[in-house]
Amino acid sequence: MSPRPFLRWPDKRLSQRAEPISAVTDETRALWDDMIETMDAMPGYGLAAPQIGEMVQLAVVDVTEERGKAICLANPEILSQSDETSDFDEASPNLPGLSAKVTRPARVRVRFLDRSGTETVKDFEGLWATSVQHQIDHLNGRMYFANLSKLKRDRLMKRWAKLEKSL
Amino acid sequence: MIRPIVLWPDPVLSKVADPVGPVTDEIRNLAQDMLETMYDAPGRGLAAPQVGVSKRLFVMDTAWKDGPAHPRIVIDPVILERSDAEETMEEGCLSIPGVLAPISRPTEITLQWQDETGAILTERLTGFDAVCAQHELDHLDGIVTFDRLPDDVRADLEKVYSA
Repeated sequence: MSPRPFLRWPDKRLSQRAEPISAVTDETRALWDDMIETMDAMPGYGLAAPQIGEMVQLAVVDVTEERGKAICLANPEILSQSDETSDFDEASPNLPGLSAKVTRPARVRVRFLDRSGTETVKDFEGLWATSVQHQIDHLNGRMYFANLSKLKRDRLMKRWAKLEKSL
Repeated sequence: MIRPIVLWPDPVLSKVADPVGPVTDEIRNLAQDMLETMYDAPGRGLAAPQVGVSKRLFVMDTAWKDGPAHPRIVIDPVILERSDAEETMEEGCLSIPGVLAPISRPTEITLQWQDETGAILTERLTGFDAVCAQHELDHLDGIVTFDRLPDDVRADLEKVYSA
């Protein structure tokens, strides 16, 4: 078990939909453990498998300061979302040095398979809701900035192009 | 071998580096490591102090992602001539990740240096090549992008960096 390296934008895998898993196995749990370690090493509020090049529908979220409260999700799917929204300054280790304020539903109900492979329905709110939606975006090949206006996205990509020419 | 990149405010980044003089195998190995480290980072230029070695050399390859690789090993560089015209570019530094600093520099310079064989080369550099060479030469003089900014801009960017 060890932290994994992140893909670097614009790696194509970050824009591809990940494959659902057919069953939660020991292999699944081992990958989740690597993902938790990778998330905690940043530290970050969540991680989706494609961010480390694993094209499967697996994610972890933990928005606590103390860590150790990670929720593992397989094949997550949003069942319903609140009309009320919340804003958060989102970022990604796949594009270090960039961040942008993203508006998302404040609460979401998500169906997923948990670590034991049991189908679970859970309500997320606050930072948990933001992170779980950010991870589900990844599993569908969407980066957080896909939710921005074209103008803001272009500005962000320009900044990225400059950072990629660091000296 | 990829070497770890030193991050600001490590004191080695604020030191004037020592001349290399005669090019040895040790220097050639260091330069190869620096190129490998630069491509891995990824970046377009890297100075020896950025890998913790206070010697006057840097490597650059300004277009490698957009075209064929054109690595340069630049040892004991001297700027012979600078244009009066200046241009401001937002510069990123591998030792200050995530920060872009707007810096005005001469748009063209004439640079003289010795390469890895000890041959003396002189070249007129323009565009991003000129920006890169001046940024790297700054590193050899213990200067980072922050040092070229007005106090208020520097304070803002330092806040971004430490956040």
